[in-house]
Amino acid sequence: MLDSIRDKVRRGERLDAADALALFCEPDLLAVGALANEVRERMHGDRAFFNRNMRVEVTNVCVASCLFCSFAKLEADSPGAHTMTLEDAWRELEVRMDDPPGEVHIVNGLHPGLPFTYYEELLRGFKRIKPDVHLKCFTAVEIQFFADHYGMTVTDVLSRLREAGLDSMPGGGAEIFHPDVRSRISHDKATGQQWLDVHREAHAMGMRTNATMLYGHIETFEHRVDHLMRLRELQDRTGGFQAFIPLAFHPDGNGMKNLPAPTAVDDLRTVAVSRLVLDNFAHIKSYWVSSTPKIAQVALRFGADDIDGTIVHETIYSAAGSTSPSGLAYDELVRLIREAGRIPIERDTLYNVLREHPRAALPEAAAKVRDRERPKAKRRLPVTDAAADVAVDSTKESSPW
Amino acid sequence: MVTHPDRTEPLRIHGVHYLNARPLWQAFADGAVTMSREHRLVLAAPAEVARAIAEGDADVALLPVAAAASIGGLELVPGSAIGADGPVRSVAIFGERPLDQLDTIALDLSSRTSVVLARLVLAARGLRPRLVGATAAEALSRVGGATGALAIGDAALAVEGRFAHTLDLAAAWKELTGLPFVFAAWFARPGVLAAGDGEAFTAAKGYGLARVAELAAEHAEAHGLDAASLTSYLQDSLRYDLDAPALRGLGEFFARAASARQLPRSAPSTVTAPVATGPQHAESLDRLLSRAADGDRLSGAEGVRLLREAPLFDLGLAADAVRRRKHPHGVVTYIVDRNVNYTNVCTTSCRFCAFYRPVGHAEGYVLSREELAEKLSEVVRAGGVQILLQGGLNPDLRLSWYEDLFRWMKREFALGLHALSPEEILHLARIEELDVRAVLERLRAAGLDSVPGGGAEILVDRVRRRIAKAKCTSEEWLGVMRVAHHMGLRSSATMMYGTTDTPEDRVQHLLKLRELQDETAGFTAFFCWDYQYEKGTRIAPGDGGTQLYLRTQAVSRLMLDNVDHVGASWVTQGPAVGQVALRFGADDFGSVMFEENVVSSAGTTFGVDAREIERRVREAGFRVARRDVRYAWLTEPS
Repeated sequence: MLDSIRDKVRRGERLDAADALALFCEPDLLAVGALANEVRERMHGDRAFFNRNMRVEVTNVCVASCLFCSFAKLEADSPGAHTMTLEDAWRELEVRMDDPPGEVHIVNGLHPGLPFTYYEELLRGFKRIKPDVHLKCFTAVEIQFFADHYGMTVTDVLSRLREAGLDSMPGGGAEIFHPDVRSRISHDKATGQQWLDVHREAHAMGMRTNATMLYGHIETFEHRVDHLMRLRELQDRTGGFQAFIPLAFHPDGNGMKNLPAPTAVDDLRTVAVSRLVLDNFAHIKSYWVSSTPKIAQVALRFGADDIDGTIVHETIYSAAGSTSPSGLAYDELVRLIREAGRIPIERDTLYNVLREHPRAALPEAAAKVRDRERPKAKRRLPVTDAAADVAVDSTKESSPW
Repeated sequence: MVTHPDRTEPLRIHGVHYLNARPLWQAFADGAVTMSREHRLVLAAPAEVARAIAEGDADVALLPVAAAASIGGLELVPGSAIGADGPVRSVAIFGERPLDQLDTIALDLSSRTSVVLARLVLAARGLRPRLVGATAAEALSRVGGATGALAIGDAALAVEGRFAHTLDLAAAWKELTGLPFVFAAWFARPGVLAAGDGEAFTAAKGYGLARVAELAAEHAEAHGLDAASLTSYLQDSLRYDLDAPALRGLGEFFARAASARQLPRSAPSTVTAPVATGPQHAESLDRLLSRAADGDRLSGAEGVRLLREAPLFDLGLAADAVRRRKHPHGVVTYIVDRNVNYTNVCTTSCRFCAFYRPVGHAEGYVLSREELAEKLSEVVRAGGVQILLQGGLNPDLRLSWYEDLFRWMKREFALGLHALSPEEILHLARIEELDVRAVLERLRAAGLDSVPGGGAEILVDRVRRRIAKAKCTSEEWLGVMRVAHHMGLRSSATMMYGTTDTPEDRVQHLLKLRELQDETAGFTAFFCWDYQYEKGTRIAPGDGGTQLYLRTQAVSRLMLDNVDHVGASWVTQGPAVGQVALRFGADDFGSVMFEENVVSSAGTTFGVDAREIERRVREAGFRVARRDVRYAWLTEPS
């Protein structure tokens, strides 16, 4: 089976659902990885992307009760629930203006008590602080919630948010589309079809978005394949997706804590199969917060070409027991990519190249460019790249902001 | 293995101090040779000469041919060799019975070339006696009945005619192949010799051969031997020409040794090519990888090439193929044991260590019996089978303290005792003024079961001096393991890379382990990890990263063809990487750790219980079994 899949991949033929399932079931992880790596190198050579971003989660109050979530607190007055004032949210960016991120990535709970204008103001405020900041905000689940909750169409919601400064949409909330799974793990939020429809709408408006899949809980390989196929179909029609990001389920503190987390072999396999199946997606991202920096580094050889960004302060995975640090220094990301023998490319949200870092001469030589003092893993603020040998020595000159 | 020669420095010529080598280097010693640049002669034993050229401390070396093949990537200097075309007298198997009636042969292991030759000759005659390693004196003392001995050099010359039967191995080789045998020749690092320098070695040979009688007389007088016999040995038995028949003999030896997986197969390319550049890269990387996957013995140069150039997946697939052949049941093992660090007081102050406290420091500790009893009871309750006991070099703890401790442990707890790395054993030998064997004998009598392979770091002294100045040398570390293995104790082997070491250093480390393993077969398993940089350590990290870990482990699996097991170091890499490493040549997941003070003080902490280990192993596509220290299954694989 693997042989016929390999032939198809090398001929540039599209894999079907049966192929995808076979790849998930193939015991030889390295064979699947090597094939995905072929495709990845055909598309991107040795380039590996990252960006300078920050996460803001303004509220964890949420009307949905997803089993996999350790972040959301149902009621505004339940212990641990918090909602930022607009000023507090904006301050997150203000305090970083001496070395600002290019992207602010906002994802929230579905708060029933905030006016829609809160979100519009939120976006406008960030743009006031930094007019060229890219705002990648609100998952399709949030957009659908806004439409339902405030009695608007999805188009209206997206138009008003775009008017307020929304530039693109993240890919969260996709979970697993198949109703058999979705009805059990997140029955009270946007359905799979609604999620896809929101993205279709966004794409139609010219907005770029990402896509995700939350795997490793109660779903089967068939459900994963179904999920990938639905994404591929939509992408065939719109071309609006930039990156696909497989997200590993983390069990601590949520409604599925009796389940084990998927292991690294599953993480790498899922990256690889995604790369092979999603032939119309430009980028496959190994989100280091989900997979850990160590496995994200290996994933750059298993089909991934992106490891996300500096993040700064992530709370959703941390709440579910992820042991990854909540932010990585810029230098640390560069090092991680170089040690993988890849060329670190700092990008903006839309994958425009901002800065190409020199590669290590050989995988082995990666450490020659490593800082003498490795930054502490828990450092949160991104720091300016200190590598002396880079072609462009000022980040600001080469950046659009 | 080192590639950028500096021709402005004096040429470092290393020769073997033996009499039979002297005709080849005497001219350099007497300053009677003209070369393109200044040169310097250093004399040492064969093993040291081999080490020097492998680690870049020598430019040209008179090497036993087996050593040259193991190092790889060297150029053969034409013209001279130490060989024989027929009987050589100094390499022979002695016995009181004919060879085909010997069931055991004690091998003097001082020359790997001769040992390989003996194996090839025995195999060609369809003989399969049990081969046991020994020193020259030990080997000869065992001759009698159905036991014979391989003796080499002066030891062989000294017993000429003493035993009823002698098989001269060079004569046997001639009979087998019709060709001369070459024991040693000059080998150079690529590019160090300028045009015309090769002729200088031929001229040196002429100078030495003209003085054979003098050299023999001098040696005879110094060692109380017969001068005429020595002159005849040098003049008649040995053959110093590396002519066409000798080259064919050498090529035949390399080919047969490679087929028998005794030496790397790449060797002939160094022979057929004259002094020229880069014969080691004539082979494609794919071909090298497939030979590695098939179990061919790799040279050091080949190991470096794989470590530097081979794609990650290809290394993984090759290492996985070796793992599958060695362990065809698809079973990954782990052990339930506990690492107990009995003291953190240490006098070595290694720069990569955040665990130790100097003598007299307020945070220094020695675990009390009560503390130990509590830890050991927990292990017994958790179904554990052994204690891994290691600590600092604490000058207050004498050998008797350890003996009492071991006896108490063995009396009170039914646990294996995997204890004291070579550094600690050497420390005890020093403070007690005993030799290593005596220390190990006493410890074993008190309950020691096996020796952990910690403290190996990188077995290249240039690196060791920079990261752990006060620690034992590579030879001392290997020496303790040699003694332990000869006593029947088994040990593990380790490598910590990623400080100031280069890929060449790492491969040299692996070669040294492989060579000792050829001799003793005492290593059960190999583990490697990268230097864990954190607060408290005092050396900046060098090469690192998860991909490098996977590459290094895979290359180790390919290089260490004589070590049964390779373990994934999940304690340092994390359980996620540990699991992936099972697809890069590892067949063992190490141990369920209750605590691991040394690495965790450097900031690496992972907790994984047995159930979690088993789940990860199964998800990686293997069955899982618990094991003991000798890797015997304690549970049915499931």
